[in-house]
Amino acid sequence: MSRADDIIHQPVRLKIMAALNALRPGEAIEFTRLKAIVAATDGNLGAHIATLEQAAYVTVSKDFNGRKPRTRIAMTRGGRRAFAQHVAYLRDILDGDPIKEGKV
Amino acid sequence: MALSREEAAQALQEIASTERRSTTLRRYRGAAPHLMLWGVLWAVGYGLTEAIPARAGATWTVIVVVGIAAGTLMTFRQSDRTVGWRFAAMMATLVVFCIATLVIMAPIEGRQTAAFVPLVIAACYVIAGIWFGPRYVVAGVALAALTLGGFFLLRSYFFAWMAVVGGGALLLAGFWLTRD
Repeated sequence: MSRADDIIHQPVRLKIMAALNALRPGEAIEFTRLKAIVAATDGNLGAHIATLEQAAYVTVSKDFNGRKPRTRIAMTRGGRRAFAQHVAYLRDILDGDPIKEGKV
Repeated sequence: MALSREEAAQALQEIASTERRSTTLRRYRGAAPHLMLWGVLWAVGYGLTEAIPARAGATWTVIVVVGIAAGTLMTFRQSDRTVGWRFAAMMATLVVFCIATLVIMAPIEGRQTAAFVPLVIAACYVIAGIWFGPRYVVAGVALAALTLGGFFLLRSYFFAWMAVVGGGALLLAGFWLTRD
């Protein structure tokens, strides 16, 4: 089933979800590596992660790696589902679904 | 939300490119401890070969068994059982291939054996890099160049060269793979 998702479709959030989708289910990625993949600033990335967390698409965990604080982000099952539905929606547009293109 | 086909296509491209980058960095991170492990093992193995050449056979038998066992354990911890067993099978295949080739090419001297195996490993990294990411290609090419350079230019010090430079190169490559 395909469904447009305004929360996911924002450019930075789309990249965040794509980066997380490439991981195994339940696997988390460190904030610093996500920042490198998405090419966003700390503040920008943090704000978008907060939005996705509020939507229950991602979870954020904080711990220590030795003495260094570490923030890790993982996609939830609901987030994976929502992302898959949004990708299906985008593909439907390419396949020429006039409703999804907003022509009808 | 109403998107044009162009916007949808661009979004899908962005998704594919980001997923590719994320997967590549994840694979690099997974491979890094293996390169570092073998960097240490090569330093020990080649160093002992330099110091006690008569015991080279026993030295490398132990090194290879320890390396494969440790690498397989690491893979089981990083991934699932299937991947762990595939890793063990891959390493066993490499060992059998190298032994079979050396038997066919016998008699050869110790230095040639000591250069042949790193060149096989280097080729494996380059092949992996063609599919999974350019850093493997760089690591493989560097390893091959250092091996060939040491073999032809430092005949008397080849084992010491491989201990320091070969082992060091693998260690450095491993650290590089952890960088984002």
